[in-house]
Formats: sequence, C-alpha cells, structure tokens
Amino acid sequence: MRILVVEDEPHLLRSLAKALREEDYAVDTAAAGDEGLFKVESCDYDAVVLDVMLPGMDGWQLLERLRRSKLTPVLMLTARDAIRDRVRGLDTGADDYLVKPFDLSELLARVRALIRRGAGKPCPRIELGEVAIDLRSRTVTRAGQPVSMTAREYAILEYLAYHRGEVVTRTALYEHLMDESDDTLSNLVDVHVFGIRKKLGADLITTRRGQGYCIGP
Amino acid sequence: MFAKSIRWRMQLWQAFLLVCILSGFGVTAFQLQRTNWLRQVDEELERRVAVLSEDVRGPGPLRPPQGRSPFGPEPGFDRRHPFESGFDAGPPLEPGPGFGPGRRPRPEPRGPWIPPDEWPEPKDVQLSEKALSLFGSVEPGDYFYSIWSRSGVLLKRSTNAPPELALPERSEGDTRILARMREWHREAWHFTEMGDCVLAGRSIRADLEGMRRLAGLLALAGAGVLALGLGGGWLLAGRALRPVDEISAAASRISVGNLSERINMAETDSELGRLAAVLNSTFARLEAAFAAQQQFVADASHELRTPVAVMIAEAQSTLARPRAAGEYRETIETCLETAQQMRHLTEQLLQLARFDAGQELLQREPFDLAEAVQTAVDRVRPLASERGIAIQCDLERSRARGDTERILQVAVNLLSNAIRFNREGGAIRVRCSVENGAAVFSVADTGIGIAEADLGHIFERFYRADEARAGAGGGTGLGLAISQAIVAAHGGSIAVTSRAGEGTEFVVRLPAGAPAAPQSGAPDQA
Repeated sequence: MRILVVEDEPHLLRSLAKALREEDYAVDTAAAGDEGLFKVESCDYDAVVLDVMLPGMDGWQLLERLRRSKLTPVLMLTARDAIRDRVRGLDTGADDYLVKPFDLSELLARVRALIRRGAGKPCPRIELGEVAIDLRSRTVTRAGQPVSMTAREYAILEYLAYHRGEVVTRTALYEHLMDESDDTLSNLVDVHVFGIRKKLGADLITTRRGQGYCIGP
Repeated sequence: MFAKSIRWRMQLWQAFLLVCILSGFGVTAFQLQRTNWLRQVDEELERRVAVLSEDVRGPGPLRPPQGRSPFGPEPGFDRRHPFESGFDAGPPLEPGPGFGPGRRPRPEPRGPWIPPDEWPEPKDVQLSEKALSLFGSVEPGDYFYSIWSRSGVLLKRSTNAPPELALPERSEGDTRILARMREWHREAWHFTEMGDCVLAGRSIRADLEGMRRLAGLLALAGAGVLALGLGGGWLLAGRALRPVDEISAAASRISVGNLSERINMAETDSELGRLAAVLNSTFARLEAAFAAQQQFVADASHELRTPVAVMIAEAQSTLARPRAAGEYRETIETCLETAQQMRHLTEQLLQLARFDAGQELLQREPFDLAEAVQTAVDRVRPLASERGIAIQCDLERSRARGDTERILQVAVNLLSNAIRFNREGGAIRVRCSVENGAAVFSVADTGIGIAEADLGHIFERFYRADEARAGAGGGTGLGLAISQAIVAAHGGSIAVTSRAGEGTEFVVRLPAGAPAAPQSGAPDQA
C-alpha cells in the first residue's frame, strides 16, 4: 500500500513517514501543496494524509483539484478544530478528519480503515479458502496455523487480496508497494510471489502470463 | 420600583404641575368673579346711600361762605371741603371695593352756613320719590335701608330690613361710605357730616349660593381636566418610553453567542433612534474586537497544536518498538527542539498579551538609537555571514527616548527577517539618522520581497506569506506584530515598502529624546 503524506512541518513529516514505513507502507512525502498535487496526480496512492495549512497551495485547494480526477481516500490533518472547519473538510471531499495533536495509533488505524474502504473491503479480515489475512495485526493464518511472512510478501498478498478477482500487473504492484526512494529490481516481485506460494500453497496466486498475478477465481 | 421608573416619576411631576396650574387658575377665576360681583353690589348700595343721604340732610341752612373754598367754585363736580359741600364721597371708600371717588352732581347750595354742631337734630325724615323708588319692593334680595339720627335714634327703616340690624360703629369725623358683609347681607353706610347715619343693604344669599355653585363647578372641571391630563400623560409617556423598552430588550438579547444581532429601530432620526444607532455601532465594534480575539485564540492554539503533534507523533513512533540508542537520541533532540520552539512562541504570546493589557512596562530613558542598532547588527552578524549576506551600516548618532532593550528587540527582529528572507550572498543596508525631529532607522534587504497582496497584512498576528511559510522555518508569525506593538508603545511608527523579488525595506520612526541635551552634551551616555 502506498501513501502520500503532505505536511509542511518538517519534524512532523519525518516522524509520520517513519511511523507509516514501520507499518510496511510505501510512503512518499511532500512539504508543500503544489508538490503534493503534482505527486498525487502522477501516481495512484492508496491513501493521502493531507495537512490543511500548507505553503504553495493549501489543503482545501489541493483536495478540490484532486477530486476532479481521482477518488483516492484522503485523511485531513489540521490544527483547527472548529466544527465549521471539519464540516468544510468533509464537504470538500475529505474521507476523514483528524485534529492535531493526534495520537499516532489513531492516525494509523484511520489510515488502515481508509485503505480498506477505498478497496471496498470494510471488514478487517479477508478469507481466501483456508488462508485468512488479519489486516489489523497484519498476520496470515493457513488452516488456523499462523504463517510467518516477510513484510514484502505480506504487502503483495494484501494488495492482491484487496483486488481479489482482478489481474494485478507487476507495474501496479511496484507502484503500490514501493515508494519513490525504493530502487528494487523488477524480478524481485517474482521472488516474493514464489515465497508466498511456498508458504500458502501453489494455487493461491495464479500467474496470467504477460499480464500479471491474480487471486481467486 | 415605582419611584425609580421614569414613567412613574414623569406621572408624579405631571400631576404636581397640573394640580398647581389648575388650582391657581380656579382660585384666580373665582376671586375675579367674586370681586366683580361685589363691586356691582357695592356700587348699587353706594348709589342708594347717596340718595338717602341727600334726603336726610334736607334743605338745611348750608350756605357756604364766599371765599372759604381753597379751590373756588367749580362747575360739574364738588371738590370742596365736605362742610362746604352738600355731600362729598370724600376719599376712596373702604373697606368694600368699588367705592370710587364720589361723582355726583353737585347739590344746590342752600341757606346760610351753620356749623354742624349747631344743626338741629332731625326728628323725622321725608324720603323723596327718587329714594322710595329705589327701595320699592319687599321681595327678598331687594334693597333695604335704615336711618339713625346723630344721637342713635332710629329715624326710619324699610319694612324688609332685618330686625337685628343695629347702628354701625361710628368713627369720629369719618364720612366715607363703608361697607360690610354681615351673615347673608351686604350693607353700606355713611355718617353724614351732621352725624346722622344712613345705611343701605340687601340680602345676598342667592348670590352667595350662586358663587358657591360656581366654586363647585370650577373644582369639578379642574378634577376632570386633571384626570384627563394624567391619563393622557400616562399614555404619552408609555408611547414615548416603549422604544426604550425595545432597546433594552434587544440589548439584553445580544450576548457573546449572538453579537451580530442589532437593535432594530424604525425611526432613526429621533433621540432614541440616535441612541440605538450609537448602541449598534458599539455592538459592531464589540463584535469586531471579539472576532479578532477569537481569531487570535484560534491562531495561537493552532500554532501550539502543531509542535505538540510533532512531540506526540515522534515519541509514540519511537516507543512503538525497541530502537537503537541513536534513534532515541534523535527523537529526544527533535522533542527538545520543538519544545524550544513552543517556549519561544509562548513567550511571544505573553509579551503580546502584556502589550494588549497595557501591562508591558517600558523604560522612558534617552538612549542612542545608533548604538542600539549597532548592537543588534553585531548580534545577527554570525547568522548573516553563515548565508554569505553582507551587512552595510550607515549609522548616524540620533537620540531617542524609550526602552533600549525593546528597541533592540525590534532591530534584531527586522534584521533576522532580512537575513531569513534574503537570497544567498545578498546584502542588507542598515541606516540610522534624525529626520524632522524623529529618530529613524531602516533595514533594507535584497531578498524575496513581499507580494502586494500580503503587504497590508504582515503586521497582523500569525500572518505569514506563503513565501515566509515555505522559507526558513522557525518563524512564529508574531515577530512583526510584536515589533509594531513595541514601536507603537513608544509613540513611534513602523512602515514597510517592498517589491516582490527585489527586496524589502522597513523604516522605524521613534520620537527623538532629550532635545535640550543634544548629542554633544552627553556623547557617552548609553
């Protein structure tokens, strides 16, 4: 899952990015509104964490421009807690609203919820036959037995599970699982898929040659 | 409650005034009527007394000696000594009103003059036709008469005279016609020069009762007018005071929750309309001040929330899992830096609050502005050289009066802005001089400048142009607001000119200090 954080306070931007990366998200950052808009328009993020007070272009304008073309879930961050500000944020097209100072665990939970809703899977547990994915604790079980997976393996499995029944291209996997600073070789996705098949069974993920991967029917 | 209500007080005053006016009017009208009536009665009585007197005196041997008169014979009116004339009304009649000087046709002169003492006392009086015609009737209210001789013997009296009628008190030598009120009668009498007494009178019972009815009517009319006046006054006062009630009701509705409400007055030109307008403008100013205050509080909380968010996020993410010592150190450094930022912000907020409350105590001492500016330049020079910015000074000695520390704070603030928003390798020009009796210093930079749209706002609290926001961090958005507050507290002014992309110049003017002790007088004074 790839997330964009737009925040002008450098310390906050850094610690938010760090916390999200530790949750195995791919995180891009932007310190100004126009930079954020450029990034959000050039890449499909799974969620955007957006501060309101920004140089260049404020959060409202960015959100308005974003909503003209995309449905990316947006979590607004603001230090203003007046009710009319929250109403304005939600009415402009924000999916959620968080007032500074916030609790980090709450922010992470809200980001998870946004991604689930954005993928049309509001339930925090996805079952694929005998394999079950707990999206909250980020654990996988096979026939009730916990399976240990690497962060990348889990991320690929989660993304494919969110898009169950769809063919996911390698490019899409790269785009959603790696942030702008990652510089990974393309065949690494195949290595991770091989690892997943070894742990969860060979027929869970099918390969559509020349197209990509798919889970489910 | 009643005594304090304007309506009740107006009512009481009105009642008091109405009672005074009405009773004054009534009493005067009654008195005038009564006096007039009495004068008429007295004139009638006087006429009758005069006629009777002539009959009583008869054709006596009254012949005035020639040449005795001080005035000489006079046609028309008898102005001679009473002893010389037939009858004289004499001086004005007292006490009854209406007894004017006697104006009767002069009687015929009669016989030789005999001193009054020697005149024979009349035994009987023969009344003339004229006199009898005057007392003709016996109906009540008609006139009666009574005549007594010099020695007090009743000579003649009319049949309708009241039986208790007695000879009036006699005063020696007084021959005026006198009048008195006795029970239901008005009587006038006269002692002739010979000492005989002639009295005429009439019953005035009916007239007195008429007067009493008049008094009653007047009192009744007065009460009616009073009641009408009070009722009308009450209604009028209510009408006049109703807008006051509306104003107070509207004013009491206006509270912190709905400061935008206004008093709605239909009539704007009346006194109360003007009052409402004044109140409305007061409410408008109150609303504006309140909105500014709310904005300030919202901005301040906004500015404080962000660093708190940094500290919480940083600490929580670090504590989420075990870390290496370096990571902990980094987190603590971030937290410390953020806390220092917050300290700076709260100090600035407190200083502004003190200025707002007028509690910031300023020294008022003469000091050398050039020296203070030089100190500020020295303080920021390391920061400037870090960015390769040259500071060019042109400082002319100029005395100012005020608080050196605060002015130093202003200079440092302007200089650090000039450094922060300058380009790498730019320049800053600092000048200090005396202009038109004011001590002036200016700070000009070659930096990014300020957009025209922002120029009017830069002294507002927490206002930061986008460029300032994006530029070097650490600015609280309060520096210029504080500088302006300091300069204003000194009675000075701060002005800014800027061209976007070319640079900005701030000019601070302070009142010159100690004109009597110029630069040469105390050159080393700090």
